[in-house]
Amino acid sequence: MDARLRRVNKEISDCKNDKTSNITIDLIGDSPFHLKGSFPGPSGTPYEGGHFEVDIAIPESYPFQPVKMKFITKVYHPNVSSASGAICLDILKDAWSPVLTLKSTLISLQSLLCSPEPNDPQDAEVAKHYTTSKKSFEDTARYWTQVYAGAGKGKGSAAGGAVGATEAPKNEVAIAGLEEVHVGKFEKLGFERGKVIDVLRRLNYRGSNVTNIHDDRIVQELLK
Amino acid sequence: MNRPPTSGPPPEAPRLKSTGLPNDEPQAQLPSQNHPGVSGPPTDFMGGHPILPEDMDIRDLPSNQLYEMNQNLMAESVSTRPLIDQLTPMEVLRAEYENGSRTFVSQIDYLMNKGYRHIWRARGDGDCFYRSLAYAFVLNMLDAPQAEREIVVATALSQLQSCKPMLSQAGFEPIAYDMFYEAFEAVIQSVVSATEEYGLLTSDSLLRIFQDANNSNEIVAFLRLLTSAQIRLNPDEYAAFIIDMEPTQFCNNHVEPLGKEADHIQVSALADAMQIRVQIAYLDGHKANEVDFIDVGNKNSKEPLLLLYRPGHYDILSRKVM
Repeated sequence: MDARLRRVNKEISDCKNDKTSNITIDLIGDSPFHLKGSFPGPSGTPYEGGHFEVDIAIPESYPFQPVKMKFITKVYHPNVSSASGAICLDILKDAWSPVLTLKSTLISLQSLLCSPEPNDPQDAEVAKHYTTSKKSFEDTARYWTQVYAGAGKGKGSAAGGAVGATEAPKNEVAIAGLEEVHVGKFEKLGFERGKVIDVLRRLNYRGSNVTNIHDDRIVQELLK
Repeated sequence: MNRPPTSGPPPEAPRLKSTGLPNDEPQAQLPSQNHPGVSGPPTDFMGGHPILPEDMDIRDLPSNQLYEMNQNLMAESVSTRPLIDQLTPMEVLRAEYENGSRTFVSQIDYLMNKGYRHIWRARGDGDCFYRSLAYAFVLNMLDAPQAEREIVVATALSQLQSCKPMLSQAGFEPIAYDMFYEAFEAVIQSVVSATEEYGLLTSDSLLRIFQDANNSNEIVAFLRLLTSAQIRLNPDEYAAFIIDMEPTQFCNNHVEPLGKEADHIQVSALADAMQIRVQIAYLDGHKANEVDFIDVGNKNSKEPLLLLYRPGHYDILSRKVM
């Protein structure tokens, strides 16, 4: 049997037998090289209570080449793309080594949620939010965890990360990490709500930054 | 192993440097400013691939085409050179330096006069030290006289076995290293007894095993883990040689990942872990007409593994023949 298949099979069964780590690895279809990993959000973080799913693709030359991972569950975090789920983590790139396993890599993702690295961002907008106002960032991350990762819904429904996505209505202002009073102010000027949210998010209209950005600048952007 | 996320060092520059490209002007031999004692451009170290057929003049080509052609040729030469190439006469290496560094040529002549007539070249992929060492390790057993071979192999296997607990002590998961260990063990075993996978090892089949990416990388990965374990378990011995980082981080970033070159610290850590003696010929352009042999590891071992070092690269040096 080829070495890659042997190793992956071992890793999957090893993970199944390990009841302490709370990490799961499942097949998505028939291929043992396309998997779905999941783990609970770390406690004491805005991700607590959430259930996070990760798409795992095992490359041809695994374990000599890094495994490809991206979040399936939407995550608000400086090192995760809020749009695509792409992850910025050194071990998924040049610091990969064959001693790492699917399980240990998922544990590293879990600990990435504990300790964001805003200086090496995957999502620049989220990173700006984080550095401008950590509290506001955490509120948003917590809201995303509720909406997308099923936090606060009890254990039963937390199983599917995508469940939240189909449930309506979501608060678009909170998703964007903004405040209703700010959005409302520009909406009253006659601008469309969605556009206001988009502009304020891009300009990082949060925390102390609010005083730095003049209304004229925002109107200018809104008129574009 | 739960590794805290770090931003990590910036990716290393590609190994092939543009300094090896021919210049637009017909000024092929640049004097070296930055490498005292080295009179050729730095890529001489990795060089040796003909850039054009002999009947063609480089100067006839437009520079953009030249550049592209070189990039392609160099990329090709790195990926097409076998992981370990067949036994190559030293004259081939010498020829590559004849238009470049006189010092290197004089050093190669020195080696040839001393009876070192051949090398096995390793691909310059960052794993060349580990791959060369593993190859030399097995080769040494294969070269042992028939009568001694059994004992040499048994000694190597028991030495390897005694290294194994280091890996779990260093915090590695058996699931991640068992396969690598078994791969290396099987090759060594096949020196004296035919195994299902390799039969009875010959110098030809040894070369084939090391040219197979999967087999070869399993062994490289094993030696990297052993090196890392040695440093992790004896941090005080090595910390002084590691600049700007903790030994653990050094292992994470510079020892365990494939493709990361080995410095002296990795070389001595691995020799210590395996209790072997490694003798490295320094073909480094620092001395004309002479080559230093550096002894690393267990000085009591009588048959050292022979490697040839050129700045940034390791190959395997064949035994002396007079």
